[in-house]
Amino acid sequence: MKLIQTLLAASVLWAGTALADPPKGYPFVDFDAGLKAAKASGKPIFLYFGRYGCAWCDHTNKKTFSDAGLKKLYSDNYALVYVDAESGKRLTLPSGERITEAELGVRLQAFATPLFVYLTPQGEKIFQAPGFKTVKDFQDYDSYVRGGHYKQKTLLEFLGSKS
Amino acid sequence: MRAAALLLAVLAWPAQAAWEWGAPLTVNSVQGAAIFPHIESANRQGVAVSGDTVGVVWEDNRSGSPQCYLALKPATAAQFQPEIQLSKNECYEPVVLALGDGRFVAAWEEAGAIQARVLPGGTSLQLSKAAAAQVTLGGRGDIVYAAWAEEAGRFKRIVVATLRLKGDALGVQSVQPVEAAPSVDDQGWPALAVTGDGSVTVAWEDRRYRHTVPLVSHSSDGRSFAPPARLTDRRSGSVDGLGAGTGAMRPTLAPWGERGAVAVWLDKRDFLSGYDVFAAFDPGTRRFGKNLRVQDNFGDNMAQWHARVVSDASGRLLALWDDARDGTPDVWLSEWDGEAFGDDFTVPAAHGPGAHSDPVAALDAGGALHVVWLDRDEAAGTRVRYVRAVRK
Repeated sequence: MKLIQTLLAASVLWAGTALADPPKGYPFVDFDAGLKAAKASGKPIFLYFGRYGCAWCDHTNKKTFSDAGLKKLYSDNYALVYVDAESGKRLTLPSGERITEAELGVRLQAFATPLFVYLTPQGEKIFQAPGFKTVKDFQDYDSYVRGGHYKQKTLLEFLGSKS
Repeated sequence: MRAAALLLAVLAWPAQAAWEWGAPLTVNSVQGAAIFPHIESANRQGVAVSGDTVGVVWEDNRSGSPQCYLALKPATAAQFQPEIQLSKNECYEPVVLALGDGRFVAAWEEAGAIQARVLPGGTSLQLSKAAAAQVTLGGRGDIVYAAWAEEAGRFKRIVVATLRLKGDALGVQSVQPVEAAPSVDDQGWPALAVTGDGSVTVAWEDRRYRHTVPLVSHSSDGRSFAPPARLTDRRSGSVDGLGAGTGAMRPTLAPWGERGAVAVWLDKRDFLSGYDVFAAFDPGTRRFGKNLRVQDNFGDNMAQWHARVVSDASGRLLALWDDARDGTPDVWLSEWDGEAFGDDFTVPAAHGPGAHSDPVAALDAGGALHVVWLDRDEAAGTRVRYVRAVRK
Protein backbone atom coordinates (compact mmCIF):
# COMPACT_ATOMS: atom_id res chain seq x y z
CA MET A 1 0.00 0.00 0.00
CA LYS A 2 2.83 2.34 0.94
CA LEU A 3 4.57 1.53 -2.34
CA ILE A 4 1.41 2.38 -4.30
CA GLN A 5 1.05 5.64 -2.42
CA THR A 6 4.68 6.49 -3.15
CA LEU A 7 4.26 5.68 -6.84
CA LEU A 8 1.09 7.76 -7.03
CA ALA A 9 2.82 10.67 -5.34
CA ALA A 10 5.75 10.34 -7.73
CA SER A 11 3.45 10.26 -10.76
CA VAL A 12 1.63 13.36 -9.57
CA LEU A 13 4.99 15.05 -9.02
CA TRP A 14 6.14 14.00 -12.48
CA ALA A 15 2.98 15.30 -14.08
CA GLY A 16 3.43 18.55 -12.22
CA THR A 17 6.96 19.00 -13.44
CA ALA A 18 6.29 18.01 -17.03
CA LEU A 19 3.25 20.14 -17.63
CA ALA A 20 3.71 23.71 -18.71
CA ASP A 21 0.36 24.91 -17.52
CA PRO A 22 -0.04 28.15 -15.57
CA PRO A 23 2.03 28.43 -12.40
CA LYS A 24 0.40 26.93 -9.37
CA GLY A 25 -1.51 29.11 -6.96
CA TYR A 26 -2.17 31.95 -9.39
CA PRO A 27 -5.79 32.69 -10.35
CA PHE A 28 -5.32 32.27 -14.10
CA VAL A 29 -8.52 31.99 -16.14
CA ASP A 30 -9.27 31.62 -19.83
CA PHE A 31 -9.27 34.54 -22.27
CA ASP A 32 -12.99 35.29 -22.28
CA ALA A 33 -13.30 35.14 -18.49
CA GLY A 34 -10.18 37.27 -18.07
CA LEU A 35 -11.36 39.95 -20.49
CA LYS A 36 -14.72 40.09 -18.71
CA ALA A 37 -13.05 40.31 -15.30
CA ALA A 38 -10.67 43.02 -16.49
CA LYS A 39 -13.50 45.15 -17.89
CA ALA A 40 -15.40 44.78 -14.61
CA SER A 41 -12.44 45.50 -12.33
CA GLY A 42 -10.49 47.98 -14.48
CA LYS A 43 -7.36 45.91 -13.94
CA PRO A 44 -4.93 45.37 -16.82
CA ILE A 45 -4.62 41.89 -18.29
CA PHE A 46 -1.51 39.76 -17.95
CA LEU A 47 -1.71 37.07 -20.64
CA TYR A 48 0.56 34.04 -20.32
CA PHE A 49 0.83 32.39 -23.76
CA GLY A 50 2.27 28.98 -22.94
CA ARG A 51 2.66 25.61 -24.61
CA TYR A 52 1.86 22.20 -23.22
CA GLY A 53 5.19 20.58 -22.36
CA CYS A 54 7.21 23.79 -22.93
CA ALA A 55 10.52 23.63 -21.06
CA TRP A 56 11.05 27.39 -20.81
CA CYS A 57 7.50 27.83 -19.49
CA ASP A 58 8.24 25.19 -16.89
CA HIS A 59 11.53 26.92 -16.02
CA THR A 60 9.80 30.31 -15.67
CA ASN A 61 7.11 28.80 -13.47
CA LYS A 62 9.69 27.25 -11.16
CA LYS A 63 12.29 30.00 -11.01
CA THR A 64 10.19 33.13 -11.26
CA PHE A 65 6.51 32.57 -10.58
CA SER A 66 7.37 30.66 -7.41
CA ASP A 67 8.28 34.00 -5.80
CA ALA A 68 5.65 34.83 -3.17
CA GLY A 69 5.93 38.58 -3.68
CA LEU A 70 5.46 38.29 -7.43
CA LYS A 71 2.50 36.01 -6.89
CA LYS A 72 0.81 38.61 -4.67
CA LEU A 73 1.72 41.50 -6.97
CA TYR A 74 0.25 39.89 -10.07
CA SER A 75 -2.69 38.12 -8.39
CA ASP A 76 -3.82 41.35 -6.75
CA ASN A 77 -3.35 43.73 -9.65
CA TYR A 78 -4.04 41.88 -12.90
CA ALA A 79 -6.67 39.84 -14.59
CA LEU A 80 -4.54 36.75 -15.20
CA VAL A 81 -5.20 34.91 -18.47
CA TYR A 82 -3.61 31.67 -19.65
CA VAL A 83 -3.72 30.66 -23.31
CA ASP A 84 -2.48 27.30 -24.66
CA ALA A 85 -0.47 27.90 -27.85
CA GLU A 86 -1.71 24.73 -29.57
CA SER A 87 -5.27 24.56 -28.32
CA GLY A 88 -8.40 24.58 -30.43
CA LYS A 89 -10.36 26.15 -27.58
CA ARG A 90 -12.25 29.22 -28.77
CA LEU A 91 -12.05 32.75 -27.48
CA THR A 92 -13.62 36.06 -28.46
CA LEU A 93 -11.36 39.00 -29.28
CA PRO A 94 -12.44 42.53 -28.24
CA SER A 95 -13.45 43.06 -31.92
CA GLY A 96 -16.03 40.32 -31.53
CA GLU A 97 -14.10 37.84 -33.69
CA ARG A 98 -14.11 34.24 -32.50
CA ILE A 99 -10.79 32.46 -32.97
CA THR A 100 -8.95 29.54 -31.39
CA GLU A 101 -6.26 29.90 -28.76
CA ALA A 102 -3.72 28.64 -31.32
CA GLU A 103 -4.87 31.30 -33.79
CA LEU A 104 -4.21 33.96 -31.15
CA GLY A 105 -0.55 32.98 -31.53
CA VAL A 106 -0.77 33.84 -35.24
CA ARG A 107 -2.27 37.23 -34.45
CA LEU A 108 0.41 37.89 -31.81
CA GLN A 109 3.10 36.69 -34.25
CA ALA A 110 4.32 34.41 -31.49
CA PHE A 111 7.57 32.67 -32.35
CA ALA A 112 8.45 31.25 -28.96
CA THR A 113 6.85 30.30 -25.67
CA PRO A 114 6.42 31.48 -23.05
CA LEU A 115 5.13 34.78 -24.41
CA PHE A 116 3.86 37.35 -21.91
CA VAL A 117 1.38 39.92 -23.17
CA TYR A 118 0.12 42.96 -21.26
CA LEU A 119 -3.26 44.36 -22.30
CA THR A 120 -5.43 47.21 -21.16
CA PRO A 121 -8.67 46.31 -19.34
CA GLN A 122 -10.39 46.73 -22.72
CA GLY A 123 -8.09 44.14 -24.29
CA GLU A 124 -5.81 46.44 -26.28
CA LYS A 125 -2.21 45.24 -26.41
CA ILE A 126 0.35 47.31 -24.50
CA PHE A 127 3.39 45.16 -25.22
CA GLN A 128 4.56 41.58 -25.34
CA ALA A 129 7.75 39.92 -24.15
CA PRO A 130 8.88 36.42 -25.18
CA GLY A 131 11.02 33.94 -23.27
CA PHE A 132 12.25 33.41 -19.73
CA LYS A 133 11.88 36.42 -17.42
CA THR A 134 13.09 37.07 -13.90
CA VAL A 135 11.15 38.39 -10.91
CA LYS A 136 12.85 41.76 -11.49
CA ASP A 137 11.71 41.77 -15.14
CA PHE A 138 8.11 41.26 -14.11
CA GLN A 139 8.38 43.91 -11.41
CA ASP A 140 9.69 46.38 -14.02
CA TYR A 141 6.96 45.45 -16.48
CA ASP A 142 4.39 45.99 -13.74
CA SER A 143 5.76 49.50 -13.04
CA TYR A 144 5.66 50.28 -16.75
CA VAL A 145 2.08 49.10 -17.18
CA ARG A 146 0.36 50.13 -13.95
CA GLY A 147 2.37 53.32 -13.74
CA GLY A 148 0.91 54.29 -17.11
CA HIS A 149 4.39 54.90 -18.56
CA TYR A 150 3.48 52.98 -21.70
CA LYS A 151 1.39 55.97 -22.74
CA GLN A 152 4.50 58.14 -23.09
CA LYS A 153 7.46 55.79 -23.54
CA THR A 154 8.44 52.57 -25.18
CA LEU A 155 9.40 49.79 -22.81
CA LEU A 156 13.07 50.19 -23.71
CA GLU A 157 12.94 53.95 -23.05
CA PHE A 158 11.28 53.28 -19.70
CA LEU A 159 13.78 50.63 -18.67
CA GLY A 160 16.66 52.85 -19.82
CA SER A 161 15.38 55.77 -17.76
CA LYS A 162 15.30 53.60 -14.63
CA SER A 163 18.95 52.59 -14.79
CA MET B 1 19.97 47.36 -54.36
CA ARG B 2 18.56 47.06 -57.88
CA ALA B 3 21.09 44.34 -58.67
CA ALA B 4 20.04 42.43 -55.58
CA ALA B 5 16.39 42.70 -56.54
CA LEU B 6 17.19 41.53 -60.06
CA LEU B 7 19.16 38.59 -58.69
CA LEU B 8 16.27 37.60 -56.41
CA ALA B 9 13.84 37.87 -59.31
CA VAL B 10 16.05 35.67 -61.47
CA LEU B 11 16.47 33.13 -58.69
CA ALA B 12 12.74 33.06 -58.08
CA TRP B 13 11.87 32.80 -61.77
CA PRO B 14 12.05 29.01 -62.31
CA ALA B 15 9.55 28.29 -59.53
CA GLN B 16 7.23 31.16 -60.41
CA ALA B 17 7.29 30.19 -64.05
CA ALA B 18 6.01 26.69 -63.40
CA TRP B 19 2.41 27.77 -62.87
CA GLU B 20 0.24 30.14 -64.86
CA TRP B 21 -2.25 31.87 -62.61
CA GLY B 22 -5.73 32.97 -63.61
CA ALA B 23 -7.59 36.02 -62.40
CA PRO B 24 -8.44 35.83 -58.68
CA LEU B 25 -12.10 35.81 -57.64
CA THR B 26 -13.88 36.70 -54.42
CA VAL B 27 -15.87 33.80 -53.01
CA ASN B 28 -17.88 35.31 -50.12
CA SER B 29 -20.71 37.59 -51.23
CA VAL B 30 -21.04 39.40 -47.90
CA GLN B 31 -18.17 41.33 -46.31
CA GLY B 32 -17.88 43.94 -43.59
CA ALA B 33 -15.58 45.29 -40.91
CA ALA B 34 -17.37 43.23 -38.24
CA ILE B 35 -17.72 40.07 -40.34
CA PHE B 36 -14.93 37.58 -39.77
CA PRO B 37 -14.61 34.70 -42.23
CA HIS B 38 -12.45 31.76 -41.18
CA ILE B 39 -10.99 29.00 -43.33
CA GLU B 40 -10.10 26.62 -40.58
CA SER B 41 -10.61 22.91 -40.16
CA ALA B 42 -8.92 19.66 -39.35
CA ASN B 43 -6.80 18.70 -42.37
CA ARG B 44 -7.41 22.20 -43.82
CA GLN B 45 -10.01 20.81 -46.24
CA GLY B 46 -11.67 24.03 -47.35
CA VAL B 47 -11.75 23.52 -51.13
CA ALA B 48 -12.53 20.58 -53.42
CA VAL B 49 -13.03 20.16 -57.15
CA SER B 50 -15.78 17.78 -58.27
CA GLY B 51 -15.91 17.27 -62.01
CA ASP B 52 -15.61 20.83 -63.26
CA THR B 53 -17.16 22.45 -60.19
CA VAL B 54 -15.14 24.09 -57.43
CA GLY B 55 -16.58 23.98 -53.90
CA VAL B 56 -15.33 26.26 -51.09
CA VAL B 57 -16.43 26.14 -47.44
CA TRP B 58 -15.82 28.61 -44.63
CA GLU B 59 -17.39 30.01 -41.47
CA ASP B 60 -18.38 33.61 -40.78
CA ASN B 61 -20.58 35.61 -38.40
CA ARG B 62 -22.60 37.75 -40.86
CA SER B 63 -25.85 36.56 -39.27
CA GLY B 64 -24.71 37.46 -35.76
CA SER B 65 -23.40 34.00 -34.91
CA PRO B 66 -20.78 31.80 -36.56
CA GLN B 67 -22.37 29.84 -39.42
CA CYS B 68 -20.88 27.61 -42.12
CA TYR B 69 -21.22 28.28 -45.85
CA LEU B 70 -20.53 26.52 -49.15
CA ALA B 71 -20.06 28.34 -52.46
CA LEU B 72 -19.89 26.58 -55.81
CA LYS B 73 -18.39 27.64 -59.12
CA PRO B 74 -18.93 25.56 -62.25
CA ALA B 75 -16.05 25.93 -64.71
CA THR B 76 -18.30 27.76 -67.16
CA ALA B 77 -19.33 30.38 -64.57
CA ALA B 78 -17.34 33.59 -64.34
CA GLN B 79 -18.03 33.97 -60.61
CA PHE B 80 -18.94 31.85 -57.61
CA GLN B 81 -22.66 31.31 -57.13
CA PRO B 82 -24.24 32.83 -53.99
CA GLU B 83 -23.25 30.74 -51.01
CA ILE B 84 -25.45 28.14 -49.33
CA GLN B 85 -25.72 28.24 -45.54
CA LEU B 86 -24.98 24.75 -44.22
CA SER B 87 -25.87 25.26 -40.57
CA LYS B 88 -28.69 26.56 -38.39
CA ASN B 89 -26.84 26.73 -35.09
CA GLU B 90 -23.37 27.93 -34.09
CA CYS B 91 -21.05 26.30 -36.62
CA TYR B 92 -17.29 25.88 -36.96
CA GLU B 93 -14.58 24.27 -39.06
CA PRO B 94 -16.41 23.06 -42.18
CA VAL B 95 -14.74 20.70 -44.65
CA VAL B 96 -15.64 19.64 -48.18
CA LEU B 97 -14.90 16.49 -50.20
CA ALA B 98 -15.45 15.98 -53.94
CA LEU B 99 -17.69 13.06 -54.96
CA GLY B 100 -17.40 13.63 -58.72
CA ASP B 101 -19.83 15.00 -61.29
CA GLY B 102 -20.26 18.27 -59.42
CA ARG B 103 -21.34 16.62 -56.16
CA PHE B 104 -19.75 17.10 -52.75
CA VAL B 105 -19.96 15.99 -49.15
CA ALA B 106 -19.57 18.73 -46.57
CA ALA B 107 -19.09 18.15 -42.84
CA TRP B 108 -18.89 20.58 -39.94
CA GLU B 109 -19.28 21.10 -36.21
CA GLU B 110 -22.71 22.46 -35.30
CA ALA B 111 -23.87 23.03 -31.74
CA GLY B 112 -21.08 20.76 -30.53
CA ALA B 113 -21.96 17.84 -32.83
CA ILE B 114 -20.58 16.63 -36.18
CA GLN B 115 -22.91 16.96 -39.16
CA ALA B 116 -22.46 15.78 -42.76
CA ARG B 117 -24.48 16.41 -45.91
CA VAL B 118 -24.34 15.59 -49.62
CA LEU B 119 -24.58 18.65 -51.87
CA PRO B 120 -26.36 19.76 -53.94
CA GLY B 121 -29.47 18.28 -52.35
CA GLY B 122 -29.15 15.96 -49.39
CA THR B 123 -30.01 16.58 -45.77
CA SER B 124 -27.80 16.89 -42.71
CA LEU B 125 -26.89 13.74 -40.82
CA GLN B 126 -25.50 13.89 -37.28
CA LEU B 127 -22.49 11.61 -36.97
CA SER B 128 -21.29 12.12 -33.39
CA LYS B 129 -22.94 10.96 -30.17
CA ALA B 130 -21.06 13.04 -27.57
CA ALA B 131 -19.55 16.55 -27.74
CA ALA B 132 -17.38 16.58 -30.85
CA ALA B 133 -15.34 18.87 -33.10
CA GLN B 134 -12.68 19.04 -35.80
CA VAL B 135 -14.10 16.78 -38.49
CA THR B 136 -12.29 15.77 -41.68
CA LEU B 137 -13.32 13.64 -44.66
CA GLY B 138 -11.85 11.17 -47.12
CA GLY B 139 -13.41 8.94 -49.71
CA ARG B 140 -13.21 6.52 -52.58
CA GLY B 141 -16.08 5.45 -54.79
CA ASP B 142 -19.29 5.37 -52.78
CA ILE B 143 -17.50 5.05 -49.42
CA VAL B 144 -16.85 8.21 -47.39
CA TYR B 145 -14.79 8.25 -44.22
CA ALA B 146 -15.13 10.92 -41.57
CA ALA B 147 -12.78 11.39 -38.62
CA TRP B 148 -13.30 13.77 -35.71
CA ALA B 149 -12.44 14.36 -32.04
CA GLU B 150 -15.20 13.26 -29.65
CA GLU B 151 -15.41 13.40 -25.88
CA ALA B 152 -15.07 10.07 -24.13
CA GLY B 153 -14.77 10.59 -20.41
CA ARG B 154 -12.31 13.28 -19.45
CA PHE B 155 -10.67 13.70 -22.84
CA LYS B 156 -11.46 13.84 -26.54
CA ARG B 157 -10.38 10.93 -28.73
CA ILE B 158 -10.32 10.31 -32.47
CA VAL B 159 -13.32 8.54 -33.95
CA VAL B 160 -13.64 7.29 -37.55
CA ALA B 161 -16.96 6.68 -39.29
CA THR B 162 -17.46 4.68 -42.46
CA LEU B 163 -20.34 6.09 -44.51
CA ARG B 164 -21.94 4.71 -47.66
CA LEU B 165 -23.28 7.06 -50.29
CA LYS B 166 -26.69 6.24 -51.76
CA GLY B 167 -27.95 8.96 -54.06
CA ASP B 168 -28.14 12.14 -51.99
CA ALA B 169 -28.03 10.26 -48.68
CA LEU B 170 -25.23 9.04 -46.45
CA GLY B 171 -25.70 5.83 -44.48
CA VAL B 172 -23.57 5.11 -41.44
CA GLN B 173 -21.87 1.72 -41.64
CA SER B 174 -19.65 2.00 -38.59
CA VAL B 175 -18.41 4.55 -36.04
CA GLN B 176 -15.53 3.63 -33.79
CA PRO B 177 -12.50 5.10 -32.08
CA VAL B 178 -9.06 4.58 -33.58
CA GLU B 179 -7.96 3.21 -30.20
CA ALA B 180 -10.31 1.12 -28.09
CA ALA B 181 -8.66 2.14 -24.81
CA PRO B 182 -9.77 5.44 -23.26
CA SER B 183 -7.49 8.41 -23.98
CA VAL B 184 -5.09 9.40 -21.25
CA ASP B 185 -4.93 12.99 -22.56
CA ASP B 186 -6.53 15.02 -25.32
CA GLN B 187 -6.53 13.96 -28.98
CA GLY B 188 -7.64 16.30 -31.74
CA TRP B 189 -7.29 17.79 -35.23
CA PRO B 190 -7.40 14.53 -37.24
CA ALA B 191 -6.34 14.25 -40.86
CA LEU B 192 -7.45 11.37 -43.04
CA ALA B 193 -6.24 10.03 -46.39
CA VAL B 194 -7.68 7.18 -48.41
CA THR B 195 -4.66 5.70 -50.17
CA GLY B 196 -4.53 4.29 -53.67
CA ASP B 197 -5.41 0.76 -52.51
CA GLY B 198 -8.47 2.00 -50.62
CA SER B 199 -7.01 1.74 -47.15
CA VAL B 200 -7.22 4.55 -44.58
CA THR B 201 -4.47 6.52 -42.86
CA VAL B 202 -5.38 8.80 -39.96
CA ALA B 203 -3.06 11.30 -38.23
CA TRP B 204 -3.93 13.47 -35.26
CA GLU B 205 -2.54 15.60 -32.44
CA ASP B 206 -2.04 13.64 -29.26
CA ARG B 207 -0.99 14.79 -25.80
CA ARG B 208 -0.30 11.44 -24.14
CA TYR B 209 3.39 12.26 -23.94
CA ARG B 210 2.65 15.51 -22.05
CA HIS B 211 3.27 17.64 -25.12
CA THR B 212 1.62 17.77 -28.54
CA VAL B 213 2.80 14.96 -30.82
CA PRO B 214 1.23 14.04 -34.18
CA LEU B 215 0.48 10.32 -34.20
CA VAL B 216 -0.61 8.19 -37.14
CA SER B 217 -2.48 4.93 -37.57
CA HIS B 218 -3.44 2.82 -40.54
CA SER B 219 -6.41 0.62 -41.36
CA SER B 220 -7.03 -1.59 -44.38
CA ASP B 221 -10.80 -1.44 -43.88
CA GLY B 222 -11.49 1.77 -41.94
CA ARG B 223 -12.57 -0.24 -38.91
CA SER B 224 -9.57 -1.97 -37.41
CA PHE B 225 -6.64 0.38 -36.83
CA ALA B 226 -3.00 -0.45 -36.15
CA PRO B 227 -1.45 0.80 -32.89
CA PRO B 228 -0.51 4.46 -33.36
CA ALA B 229 3.01 5.50 -34.28
CA ARG B 230 4.73 8.87 -34.17
CA LEU B 231 4.68 11.00 -37.28
CA THR B 232 7.58 13.03 -35.98
CA ASP B 233 11.06 11.59 -35.60
CA ARG B 234 11.69 13.66 -32.45
CA ARG B 235 11.59 11.95 -29.08
CA SER B 236 9.64 13.17 -26.10
CA GLY B 237 11.51 14.07 -22.97
CA SER B 238 12.40 16.81 -20.58
CA VAL B 239 15.52 18.96 -20.77
CA ASP B 240 17.28 19.18 -17.41
CA GLY B 241 14.01 18.08 -15.83
CA LEU B 242 12.03 20.79 -17.57
CA GLY B 243 9.11 20.40 -19.99
CA ALA B 244 8.22 17.32 -21.95
CA GLY B 245 9.29 18.03 -25.53
CA THR B 246 8.84 20.43 -28.41
CA GLY B 247 5.43 20.89 -29.99
CA ALA B 248 4.09 19.84 -33.37
CA MET B 249 0.54 20.43 -34.49
CA ARG B 250 -2.18 20.43 -37.14
CA PRO B 251 -1.17 17.40 -39.26
CA THR B 252 -2.52 17.22 -42.79
CA LEU B 253 -2.49 14.16 -45.05
CA ALA B 254 -2.81 13.38 -48.74
CA PRO B 255 -2.58 10.13 -50.72
CA TRP B 256 0.80 9.51 -52.29
CA GLY B 257 1.70 7.06 -55.04
CA GLU B 258 0.00 3.71 -55.48
CA ARG B 259 -0.65 2.99 -51.81
CA GLY B 260 1.26 5.59 -49.79
CA ALA B 261 0.49 8.84 -48.01
CA VAL B 262 2.27 12.11 -47.30
CA ALA B 263 1.92 14.21 -44.16
CA VAL B 264 2.67 17.90 -43.61
CA TRP B 265 2.41 19.63 -40.27
CA LEU B 266 3.64 22.58 -38.17
CA ASP B 267 6.66 21.71 -36.05
CA LYS B 268 8.43 23.70 -33.36
CA ARG B 269 11.58 21.58 -33.01
CA ASP B 270 13.52 24.79 -33.68
CA PHE B 271 11.73 26.47 -30.82
CA LEU B 272 13.21 29.96 -31.31
CA SER B 273 11.85 30.59 -34.81
CA GLY B 274 8.24 29.61 -34.47
CA TYR B 275 6.60 26.68 -36.20
CA ASP B 276 8.25 25.33 -39.36
CA VAL B 277 6.57 23.22 -42.02
CA PHE B 278 7.67 19.59 -41.93
CA ALA B 279 6.73 16.61 -44.08
CA ALA B 280 7.07 12.82 -44.03
CA PHE B 281 6.25 10.12 -46.55
CA ASP B 282 4.78 6.67 -46.19
CA PRO B 283 5.75 5.01 -49.51
CA GLY B 284 3.16 2.32 -48.91
CA THR B 285 4.96 0.43 -46.18
CA ARG B 286 2.55 1.79 -43.52
CA ARG B 287 5.49 3.55 -41.91
CA PHE B 288 6.30 7.25 -42.23
CA GLY B 289 9.96 7.97 -42.81
CA LYS B 290 12.43 10.71 -42.03
CA ASN B 291 10.99 14.15 -41.40
CA LEU B 292 11.85 16.77 -44.02
CA ARG B 293 11.76 20.51 -43.58
CA VAL B 294 9.57 21.95 -46.32
CA GLN B 295 10.13 25.70 -46.41
CA ASP B 296 13.40 27.01 -47.83
CA ASN B 297 16.14 28.89 -46.00
CA PHE B 298 14.55 32.27 -46.70
CA GLY B 299 11.62 31.26 -44.54
CA ASP B 300 13.64 29.54 -41.89
CA ASN B 301 13.75 32.29 -39.28
CA MET B 302 10.07 33.06 -39.65
CA ALA B 303 7.03 31.40 -38.12
CA GLN B 304 4.96 29.44 -40.62
CA TRP B 305 1.23 28.92 -40.11
CA HIS B 306 -1.73 27.06 -41.61
CA ALA B 307 0.19 24.36 -43.50
CA ARG B 308 -1.54 21.98 -45.89
CA VAL B 309 -0.42 19.27 -48.34
CA VAL B 310 -2.18 18.42 -51.60
CA SER B 311 -1.46 15.72 -54.17
CA ASP B 312 -2.90 14.07 -57.26
CA ALA B 313 -2.80 10.67 -58.89
CA SER B 314 -0.11 11.76 -61.36
CA GLY B 315 2.37 12.28 -58.53
CA ARG B 316 2.11 16.04 -58.29
CA LEU B 317 2.56 17.20 -54.70
CA LEU B 318 2.58 20.67 -53.12
CA ALA B 319 2.67 22.06 -49.62
CA LEU B 320 1.35 25.53 -48.86
CA TRP B 321 1.19 27.79 -45.83
CA ASP B 322 1.45 31.46 -44.90
CA ASP B 323 4.32 33.40 -43.42
CA ALA B 324 5.42 37.02 -43.17
CA ARG B 325 9.01 36.84 -44.48
CA ASP B 326 8.30 39.75 -46.84
CA GLY B 327 6.84 41.92 -44.09
CA THR B 328 3.19 40.91 -44.20
CA PRO B 329 1.50 37.49 -44.26
CA ASP B 330 1.60 35.94 -47.73
CA VAL B 331 0.68 32.55 -49.14
CA TRP B 332 3.68 30.39 -49.99
CA LEU B 333 4.00 27.08 -51.78
CA SER B 334 6.68 24.47 -52.29
CA GLU B 335 6.48 21.69 -54.85
CA TRP B 336 7.97 18.23 -54.44
CA ASP B 337 10.38 17.48 -57.30
CA GLY B 338 10.65 13.76 -56.64
CA GLU B 339 13.61 14.10 -54.31
CA ALA B 340 13.08 17.27 -52.28
CA PHE B 341 10.77 20.21 -51.79
CA GLY B 342 11.75 22.98 -54.18
CA ASP B 343 12.26 26.69 -53.60
CA ASP B 344 9.30 28.47 -52.07
CA PHE B 345 7.13 30.55 -54.37
CA THR B 346 4.09 32.71 -53.90
CA VAL B 347 0.60 32.90 -55.25
CA PRO B 348 0.88 36.31 -57.00
CA ALA B 349 -2.61 37.41 -55.91
CA ALA B 350 -1.87 36.35 -52.34
CA HIS B 351 1.42 38.20 -51.99
CA GLY B 352 2.28 41.82 -51.35
CA PRO B 353 0.67 44.60 -49.32
CA GLY B 354 -2.06 43.46 -46.95
CA ALA B 355 -2.54 40.19 -45.13
CA HIS B 356 -3.02 37.02 -47.19
CA SER B 357 -3.34 33.97 -45.00
CA ASP B 358 -5.04 30.69 -44.15
CA PRO B 359 -4.53 28.97 -47.52
CA VAL B 360 -6.24 25.77 -48.60
CA ALA B 361 -5.84 24.07 -51.97
CA ALA B 362 -6.84 21.20 -54.22
CA LEU B 363 -5.45 19.65 -57.38
CA ASP B 364 -8.10 18.61 -59.89
CA ALA B 365 -8.11 15.58 -62.18
CA GLY B 366 -6.64 17.66 -65.00
CA GLY B 367 -3.69 18.80 -62.88
CA ALA B 368 -4.92 22.36 -62.27
CA LEU B 369 -4.23 23.85 -58.85
CA HIS B 370 -7.03 25.64 -56.99
CA VAL B 371 -5.99 27.88 -54.07
CA VAL B 372 -8.29 29.65 -51.59
CA TRP B 373 -7.16 32.05 -48.90
CA LEU B 374 -8.23 34.98 -46.71
CA ASP B 375 -7.48 38.52 -47.81
CA ARG B 376 -7.76 40.56 -44.61
CA ASP B 377 -8.77 44.19 -44.60
CA GLU B 378 -9.85 45.59 -41.25
CA ALA B 379 -11.82 48.46 -42.78
CA ALA B 380 -13.44 46.83 -45.81
CA GLY B 381 -13.75 43.37 -44.33
CA THR B 382 -12.09 40.06 -45.09
CA ARG B 383 -12.54 38.43 -48.47
CA VAL B 384 -12.37 34.72 -49.18
CA ARG B 385 -10.30 34.65 -52.37
CA TYR B 386 -9.83 31.98 -55.02
CA VAL B 387 -7.44 31.47 -57.91
CA ARG B 388 -6.81 28.65 -60.37
CA ALA B 389 -3.42 27.84 -61.86
CA VAL B 390 -2.35 25.52 -64.63
CA ARG B 391 1.05 24.08 -65.28
CA LYS B 392 2.86 25.87 -68.10
